[in-house]
Amino acid sequence: MAAGFKTVEPLEYYRRFLKENCRPDGRELGEFRTTTVNIGSISTADGSALVKLGNTTVICGIKAEFAAPPTDTPDKGYVVPNVDLPPLCSSRFRSGPPGEEAQVASQFIADVIENSQIIQKEDLCISPGKLSWVLYCDIICLDYDGNILDACTFALLAALKNVQLPEVTINEETGLAEVNLKKKSYLNIRTHPVATSFAVFDDTLLIVDPTGEEEHLATGTLTVVMDEEGKLCCLHKPGGSGLTGAKLQDCMSRAVTRHKEVKKLMDEVIKSMKSK
Amino acid sequence: MPGDHRRIRGPEESQPPQLYAADEDEAPAARDPTRLRPVYARAGLLSQAKGSAYLEAGGTKVLCAVSGPRQAEGSERGSGPAGAGGEAPAALRGRLLCDFRRAPFAGRRRRAPPGGGEERELALALQEALEPAVRLGRYPRAQLEVSALLLEDGGSALAAALTAAALALADAGVEMYDLVVGCGLSRTPEPAPTWLLDPTRLEEEHAAAGLTVALMPVLNQVAGLLGSGEGGPTESWAEAVRLGLEGCQRLYPVLQQCLVRAARRRGAAAPS
Repeated sequence: MAAGFKTVEPLEYYRRFLKENCRPDGRELGEFRTTTVNIGSISTADGSALVKLGNTTVICGIKAEFAAPPTDTPDKGYVVPNVDLPPLCSSRFRSGPPGEEAQVASQFIADVIENSQIIQKEDLCISPGKLSWVLYCDIICLDYDGNILDACTFALLAALKNVQLPEVTINEETGLAEVNLKKKSYLNIRTHPVATSFAVFDDTLLIVDPTGEEEHLATGTLTVVMDEEGKLCCLHKPGGSGLTGAKLQDCMSRAVTRHKEVKKLMDEVIKSMKSK
Repeated sequence: MPGDHRRIRGPEESQPPQLYAADEDEAPAARDPTRLRPVYARAGLLSQAKGSAYLEAGGTKVLCAVSGPRQAEGSERGSGPAGAGGEAPAALRGRLLCDFRRAPFAGRRRRAPPGGGEERELALALQEALEPAVRLGRYPRAQLEVSALLLEDGGSALAAALTAAALALADAGVEMYDLVVGCGLSRTPEPAPTWLLDPTRLEEEHAAAGLTVALMPVLNQVAGLLGSGEGGPTESWAEAVRLGLEGCQRLYPVLQQCLVRAARRRGAAAPS
């Protein structure tokens, strides 16, 4: 009976739950799904991380290569993010060039990297004007069940913490680089941006960490990216219903709490990796 | 990529640091030519796909998902002759669309996303090997989409993708005559050429020739064969095929176990 009602009137079905301040999967309105993270599983990548937020699964792999620095900023390196939503993660995506959603997600990740200064691009420069590192961050979604931006940001952060770059010296005489693959060092991660996504229902109710169905029924979405000092790095609100200032403040405080949870999880994982 | 305005722009070109590293020519260690690496297989792990499977053999990690059957796109194909054994005529048979993708971080060198010719060749190989096993006559005018994603290439990638795709089809409940099991082989270069079963990435890089065999274990029929490399006497290739088929048979019990476990999990999770 309930399954029939859900198919015919999904929004009404949902509203019944929201009236009781909970959701069909048993969560409260402000509760996140179980988050798990696995670091360093892909040995061909310089750094990798797999993040699961409930059913949503995202993997991030980072490859570091050499390139000439950009001509207008010869003392900086490159960080090139790319979010891929292949047809295997959900039946709504087709194979071929990146669709709209993938492009939006890629641009969002690029903005987060730029605004939060997670890495100083100057750290990636080896020899100004001649050689610098390029970090290609490829994020692939394996299972799409809503809240992709949170998962991608977390995966990117965890993978960056896992990246080890070999030591490079420029040979004075030949002018070529010499790489020592045996000596590797971690990147200097300055801030830890964490994203928190919300969905707006009926222009008033805010729920945290929407699943795929909830995103579909929502009238708007909002993503807030905070770093550890409670500084706002990025706010992503692509249209949808309007929000009052008070609600926005609410979201930001929820984002601060989420940041603490995520940071704790990541520190535990990194500690367990290092102790191996 | 210069023309690709859908992705974030990076530098025009970049080189991997391995090019500048001090010489590290590791030759692959000698080993028993008939050893198969231990395999971890799991079916039914993606929530959004009808059927899915993950296969890990040594360093090779492949994820495969199946969706459909849905209505076939494109105009009707002309009526062809009915297949052997009373199968539905060609115009009414279902289609199998395969897609093979390599993650950019899967190999030693980063490969930018539009994969190009190699991925298409492997996708076609997947389709040719899976078609004999699937009862496409039971899905008239429908198409089944199989997408394989290679997360890490540790050698024998096509073989692993074949096996994962067959497991995913079985997990999706698609009617099949039999599973398809894939096995990779490679031949060591000149002094004493021997065929190695289930090569690692290092062995494949140093190989003179490579072969992938796909077998339907219960029916004992070869579903697909793809080989390339330096030529050799026919007996050598025939021996390699025989070795590959043996390898596939040895792999079969693991896959059966995996499907049984997945079915149990589904049974336990579904509310009756």
